Amino acid sequence: MRDVLPAYPSLVRSATLVAATYRGRIVLSLLTAFFPLLTMAVWLTVVAEGGPPDGWTTGDFLSYYAAATLLWNLTGDRVVWQWDADMRSGDLSVRLLRPVHPFHQYATSDLGQRLVFLVVLVPALILGAWLVPGLNYPADPLRLAAVAAALVLAYAVSLLMASTFALIGFWSTQTTNGWLLWWGLGSFASGWVAPLALMPDWLRTAGMVLPFRTTMGFPVELLMGRLDAHQTAYGFAVGLGWLAAFALLYRVAWRFGVRRYQAVAG
Amino acid sequence: MNPWPRQARILGICWRAAVTGEMEYRFNFLANFALSAFWMLWAAAGASVYFRFTGTVAGWTQPEVLVVIGLFFALNGLRQALLQPNLERMTEYVRRGTLDFLLTKPFDAQLLVSLRHLKVNNLLDPILGLALTVVGVALSGRGVSAAALASFLLLLACAVLLMYALSVVLMALAVVLVAGEELGRVSFAFVELSRFPVEMYRNPAQAVLTVVPVAFLTTYPAAALLGRLDPYLLLLAPAVAAGAVVLATLLWRRSLRSYAGASA
Amino acid sequence: MIEVRELAKHYRVHRREPGLRAALRSFVRREHVTVRAVDRVSFTIAEGEVVGFLGPNGAGKTTTLKCLTGLLHPTTGAVRVLGHTPHRREPEFLRRISLVMGQRNSLFWDLPAADAFEVNRAIYGIAPGPYKSALEELVDLLDLEPLLHKQVRVLSLGERMRCELAGALLHRPEVLFLDEPTLGLDVNGQAAVRSFLRDYNTRHGATVLLTSHYMGDVTVLARRVLVIDHGTLRFDGDLAALVETHSPHRLVRVTLREAVPEQTWAGLGEVSSIDGAVVTLAVPRAETAAIAARLLTTLPVEDVAIEDPPVEEIIRGVFAHA
Repeated sequence: MRDVLPAYPSLVRSATLVAATYRGRIVLSLLTAFFPLLTMAVWLTVVAEGGPPDGWTTGDFLSYYAAATLLWNLTGDRVVWQWDADMRSGDLSVRLLRPVHPFHQYATSDLGQRLVFLVVLVPALILGAWLVPGLNYPADPLRLAAVAAALVLAYAVSLLMASTFALIGFWSTQTTNGWLLWWGLGSFASGWVAPLALMPDWLRTAGMVLPFRTTMGFPVELLMGRLDAHQTAYGFAVGLGWLAAFALLYRVAWRFGVRRYQAVAG
Repeated sequence: MNPWPRQARILGICWRAAVTGEMEYRFNFLANFALSAFWMLWAAAGASVYFRFTGTVAGWTQPEVLVVIGLFFALNGLRQALLQPNLERMTEYVRRGTLDFLLTKPFDAQLLVSLRHLKVNNLLDPILGLALTVVGVALSGRGVSAAALASFLLLLACAVLLMYALSVVLMALAVVLVAGEELGRVSFAFVELSRFPVEMYRNPAQAVLTVVPVAFLTTYPAAALLGRLDPYLLLLAPAVAAGAVVLATLLWRRSLRSYAGASA
Repeated sequence: MIEVRELAKHYRVHRREPGLRAALRSFVRREHVTVRAVDRVSFTIAEGEVVGFLGPNGAGKTTTLKCLTGLLHPTTGAVRVLGHTPHRREPEFLRRISLVMGQRNSLFWDLPAADAFEVNRAIYGIAPGPYKSALEELVDLLDLEPLLHKQVRVLSLGERMRCELAGALLHRPEVLFLDEPTLGLDVNGQAAVRSFLRDYNTRHGATVLLTSHYMGDVTVLARRVLVIDHGTLRFDGDLAALVETHSPHRLVRVTLREAVPEQTWAGLGEVSSIDGAVVTLAVPRAETAAIAARLLTTLPVEDVAIEDPPVEEIIRGVFAHA
C-alpha cells in the first residue's frame, strides 16, 4: 500500500482521461443516476394522500432522496463487473503482470470514472436543490466536515466490500449473481429501498450493525441533521469496523485465490 | 417465396445453439433462476414498505401493485433474454466489421441481428413474472372476465412490440454511436420505469410516462386484467405499438444506409 | 538469467462430446481428465540471448511462458527468472519483465495508444526523463508517429501489435516474453515486428524468449531454439544444428524451359513435387552443388534455386523421430 499511494494521483488522472473520452456514456449514465427519485415520487404520493408516514414530510423525503441520489452514484459496484469480465476473458493476466496490485488498478480506474461522472452530476443536483423548495440541510460546519468524512467512508466501504466479493470469481463463476443477491438483501438495510426510519424495527436493528447503512443511510441521515453526537460516533465506529473487516477478508481471499488462479487458469 | 419460415428456422438454429452452450454451465442456470425469483420477491417486499402506512397508493391496492410488478418482471425478463444481448453485440459487430458480413447474408438483417442471440438465463423470468401476476389477481379478490383476459392479452402483445421497437431504435443508434452497452441502459431505464403503475408517481411524472409510453408496458395491461381499462386504449395501444415498429424499422434502414455510406 | 528445472504443469479439465444430448448429460455428470501441459522440462537461458520456442498448438509453449512470468504456479519443479521465483509476482520482479501476448490486448480499444502508454507510465512508476527517451526511441523504431493518436480500434492488426510492443517496453524490461507476437499479421507486419525485435535486442541486450508457430519469426530472430511437443522438450540447441541433424537433404527447385521425361530425374534425387515446369528435388546435403551443376549442363534449365526445407518440415521430422 505504501509504495502504491504515490502512484495514485497519476493513475487516477489517467483514468479520468480515459473516462472523459466516453462523453456519450456519461450522458446516458445520467438516465439511471436519478433512480432514487422514483422511490421518492411514490413516497410523495403517500404523503399527499394519507399524511406524513411516521412524521416524514414532503421536505424530509426531498432532502433524503436528493442526498441518497448522490450516495447512489458515489458508491457502487462497477469493480465487481470489471473483475468478473477480466477473470472470464483472461485479461486479469495482463493486470497480474503489472507491478501494481490489481485492486489498485481497478480502484483508481473506478475513482477516475466516478470523478468525471460527479463533475456532471453534482451541478445537476445543486441546481435541482436550488429549484426545488423544501430541501433542508442544517449548514453547521462541524456537521458538514463529518458528512465529508462519512462520504469518504461510504466510498471506501463500498469499494472494499465489492472488491472482496469480486474475489469469489477465483472459485466460482457466480460472482455477479452472488453480489446482486448480497446487494439486494443489503438494500433493505442500507436505506436504499426506503429510509431505515420507516422500516420495521427488526430491519432497522439489523441495519445498525450491517455494513450497508454506512454506504447510504448513515451519510444521508447525518447530512439531514437527524443524528446526535452519540449516533454519529456509533455510525463511524460501525463503518470503520467493517472497513477493517473487509480489508482483512480481502487479503485472505486474495492470497488463496491468486494461488488457485495460478494453479488452473492464466 | 415467403422468407418467414426461413428466418424462423435460422433463429431456431441460433437459439438452439444458445441453449446448448448454456447447459455447459449447469449451476449457472439454476443460480440465475434463483436470483430471478429473489429479485421478484425483492420488488414485492420493497413495494410493501409503502403499504405499511396506507391501504392504497393512487388507487392501487397492494395485490394490484403485485399484478403490475409481475408484468414488469415478465417484460424485463424478455428484455434481458432477447433484446439486451443483441443490443450489446451491436457494438462488437460494428467494431469488428461483423455487421458488413451480416448484411451480405441473403436475408433481412433486422430480424436476425435484433433477435439472433438469446440469454438463456432469463428465459424463465416471464413465467415467474406471470405467476406473480396471477397471484396478485387472486389476492385482489377480483374475478377476470373473458373480455378482460382478451384485452389484457392484446395490450400485453402491444407492450412486447413496443419494447422490441425501442430495442431496434437503440440498435440503429448503436450502429452510429458504437455504444451498445450504454444504449442498453436506455432500454433498462425504460422498462424499469414500469415497475409501478404510473399513477403512483403522480404528475408531472405520470404525464411524461404516459407519453413516453411507459404506461403501455405494464400499467394498461394490468388495468385491463383488473377490468378497469379505458376502452379507447384498446384502439390506441395497437396503433402506438404498430407506429413504433414502423418508425423503428425506418430508423434501422436509415442507419444502415449511413453505415454503408461511411464504410464504403 | 532464466533457470528452469524439471518444470511440470498438470491441469484437470472436464470434457464432453458435442451436441445438445451430451450437453444435457454432462449437466448431470462430468468426466475429468488430467492434462500434462508441461512435463519435466529443463533449460537455462543466459542474459541477452534470443530463444525461440517451437511446437505445434497445445504443445505446452504458452503454459511454459506463463510459468516463467508467474501467471501459473508450477505443479512441480523450480523456475528462477532474474533471481526471482516468478509465481510470487513481487513488484520488483514484474517491473523487470514484460509479456506480450499476440491475442491479448492491453491497450484501450476506444482510446489512442498514447493514453494507454500514460497509464503504463503511472503503473510502472517510470520517471519523466527515462519515459520520454524510451517513448521517443520506441516511436522511432516502430514508426508509431502516425498511429499514436488514433483510436486503437481503427488500427490494423499489425499497427496494433506495434503499439502493443511499445507499451510493453516503455519500462525497459530486462526479459521480454513474447507469445505468438506475429499471430494473424500479414507479411509486412511480421517483418516489421521481427526487425524491431532484432534491433531492440542488439541495442539493449534484453533477453528475449518467444513462442511462435511461424518459423520465420524463429529463423530470423533466434539462433537457439527449444522444440517442445506434448509437454516435453524434444530439442534444445542451435537452429543450424537442428537443420543439419534433422534434415540431411536440401531442396533444389528447377524451372524448365520445356518438358522432360520423368525418368530423367532418376539418380539425381528424389522428386518431391512437380508443378508444371517447376520440379523440386530433395538431394543429399553434401552433393547439392554437384547435382545442381549437372542439372544446369544437361537439361533445358531456366532457373535453379537451392534452399533448406521449411523448418516446419524439419520440426515435423523431429516429432516423428521422437
